Amino acid sequence: MAAATGVESYSEMKEPIIQTINITKSFPGTIALAQFNFELLPGEVHCLIGENGAGKSTFIKILSGVYSPDSGEIIIDNKRYDSLSTQLARGIGIHTVYQDDVLVPHISVAENIYLGSEIMRKRIFMNYRTVYENAEELARHYGIDLDVKEVYENLNPADQQFTKILKTLAQSPKILVLDEPTQVFSINETDLILNIVKKVSATGTGVVYIAHDLDEIIKVAHRVTVLRDGKKVAGHDEGINKLDSTLLAKEMVGRPVELFYKKKKHTIGDIVFEVKNLRLASTSKPIEFSVRKGEILGIAGLKGSGRSAIARSIFGALDRYSGQVIYEGNDITPKNPIEAVRHGLAYLTEDKKANGLFLSMPVDQNITIVGLSSIHRSLIKLKREQDIAGNFISRMKIKTAGLNQEVQYLSGGNQQKVVIAKWLFRDANILIVDEPTHGIDVNAKTEVYELFTELASAGKSIIMISSEMPEIISMSDRVIVIRNCEISKVLSGDDITEHNILAGYLGGTD
Amino acid sequence: MTDNKTRMKPSAANPFFSLLSSQTGYLILVIIAVSVIATILNPRFLSARNIFNVMQQISVLGILTMCMALLMISGNLDISIGNMAGLVGMLFTRMVLSGRPQGIAVITVMILSTVLGLINGLIISKSKTTPLIITLGMSYVYYGISLIISNGRPHSLGGQFEFLGRAKIGPVPITIIIYIVVFALAYLFRKYTTYGRRINAIGGNKEAAFLSGINVDRHIIYLYGISGMITGLAGLVLISRLGMVRADSGSNYALQALAAAIIGGITFEGGRGSLVGAFLGVLLLGIMYNAMNIIGVSSYMQTIFLGAVIVIATVISNIGKIKKQ
Repeated sequence: MAAATGVESYSEMKEPIIQTINITKSFPGTIALAQFNFELLPGEVHCLIGENGAGKSTFIKILSGVYSPDSGEIIIDNKRYDSLSTQLARGIGIHTVYQDDVLVPHISVAENIYLGSEIMRKRIFMNYRTVYENAEELARHYGIDLDVKEVYENLNPADQQFTKILKTLAQSPKILVLDEPTQVFSINETDLILNIVKKVSATGTGVVYIAHDLDEIIKVAHRVTVLRDGKKVAGHDEGINKLDSTLLAKEMVGRPVELFYKKKKHTIGDIVFEVKNLRLASTSKPIEFSVRKGEILGIAGLKGSGRSAIARSIFGALDRYSGQVIYEGNDITPKNPIEAVRHGLAYLTEDKKANGLFLSMPVDQNITIVGLSSIHRSLIKLKREQDIAGNFISRMKIKTAGLNQEVQYLSGGNQQKVVIAKWLFRDANILIVDEPTHGIDVNAKTEVYELFTELASAGKSIIMISSEMPEIISMSDRVIVIRNCEISKVLSGDDITEHNILAGYLGGTD
Repeated sequence: MTDNKTRMKPSAANPFFSLLSSQTGYLILVIIAVSVIATILNPRFLSARNIFNVMQQISVLGILTMCMALLMISGNLDISIGNMAGLVGMLFTRMVLSGRPQGIAVITVMILSTVLGLINGLIISKSKTTPLIITLGMSYVYYGISLIISNGRPHSLGGQFEFLGRAKIGPVPITIIIYIVVFALAYLFRKYTTYGRRINAIGGNKEAAFLSGINVDRHIIYLYGISGMITGLAGLVLISRLGMVRADSGSNYALQALAAAIIGGITFEGGRGSLVGAFLGVLLLGIMYNAMNIIGVSSYMQTIFLGAVIVIATVISNIGKIKKQ
């Protein structure tokens, strides 16, 4: 097994190092992975591609023991497992580099690399010299130019990513799992990562590689599996050299029509809201767009594309380099959220638990918090507050044990409705909603869509940020696609297709 | 992952346990239990005179606990309030002793303590630092100023300004009335004013409050100011009851107020907790003290008991959380 064979000969060793059979994993409301079969040979680079929510992350979390599958088997070295634990996965030699791994910020690169597997002298003292030498040797071996004595937090994002990968490689993994390793990289750095992958696989290590960039995958993969909505839709294990990104992109999209919510049409008014010359940093290109009365403008963007930063900067919650926000012809550019709210803007955040809700406070108080001035004279009229909250609860079908139930005990979908109710009570006219249906079940999603449609036809304008294709496509009157904090495409009418949005994500020019 | 937690609702199957699961419920039970035991051991405990006595003893602590409780609900705290009250008492005494009218002295120290509170709030909210450390530092500053203006010596008011500490309306000492009024106003503030509601929201989720258009900094600064003002009042009650003042007269109060608030179910995380609970927390501490005095427990033992009460009460109040996990 340990024999160092060349890249070309991987297929001669037929025995897979890991195999999964009919793995299924569901979360409340969604099936993240359905009957998924997968195998990895020694020395093979097996790429997984698919959109957000296709099931890639779920799968690697199962491989590394974070999630237990509902059913199915994992076979490693002829042993069958129902599920792995994180310790078991590590023991077997499965090591994962996650997108959002965190290392210790204020110790050196070398110390981070050997953290948890310290090199000791007489079992008590850290052997710093060996730590530095080994780390340096490791970096040199994989062709990375890195000062291993530098403090981790001083590194640029790319070098931080290299450190994470080196830390994993120091464990001599049998199976290396890389979750979008090149997201923070320029082209040259990406080539470095691809070289590492080739080098590692040449020693017999199997690599599971997840990426969005299809060209990158074609350069490195021995095999490609395409996932869509938790299912394997295509596998390519031969003729990989002839594979082209257009085919893969086509396979990633193309959903059946039942998955799309059918929005009722309504009339759209004049432009009420404009963003002009918005630049988050001095180096970024200006972002400009406008929204009409009653319009739903979709902002499509992957995580890390800058979509939420744009929303926050419009709302005055994030510093911007330049930009004007215009509402009904007046410059209202908010300096902070206080001004934004005063001008009728609402921002429904992506992570409602972290920054949208007051979890320890009851439902009624969550709904009225931004509009308290309308229910008090000298003191808050508690009766009035309860009536109003009760109204929202029945109108929006919020399931709660009562008005004084703390919102932390509500389900995700109902929590989202509480957040929407909060801004409706304030009578906000421009709603910026960030991933409005993230983590809520299918029925609740439909209810949220109905609510948005109703609001838009009542004359509210909605700016909807989402990385879910069906949502963007079925809800939006127009779509702008964001990539690297810039608008990469503007789509409307029949041009709003999965293919065009994906092309916008990837920076294609067709 | 989070779904188990979100689906779980507080169970109320057994009325006894549901009473226990609410902090105020179990505090009432404990207070009754301590009272019963103390009355059996010494029937004098339940006399009207003794009850007024307890209330009067806890009045300064009780007033300061309201400051601490409101601050904690907003996710803050101020451990300089004890020495701030001491400084107020010292400055007031020096002013009165040097012949200034009592009215002027009262107004001066009330303004001073409000300003000191505002300064605490300003530093904490604008520098985004931890209230614990900032107010710890300020606490030393106030103590130091008290030492300077007193030359390190105790000062007696010589029988002046007894009104606040010793006078009664009918059978009820004025101190108790002041304490009850402060409690009632704090309760109204928390429950019925937009300001109190927003304070609660800031404690519950500062980021969400900011994104809801609440002026977080301003609310926090003003709250520290209000707390400073109430602390000024507590300082005046303190000096009036004692009739004399030392630089460290208020030193013990801040941590006791913190303990009383925590016994009352108010947490460091903020965003929740009831002022009734904090009120009962103070009452429990007062009754424990009094009961031990009446029964004849030595003052050394009393200290141990009080410490143990704080630990036990905090552990009990957390039992609900342990079960959830």
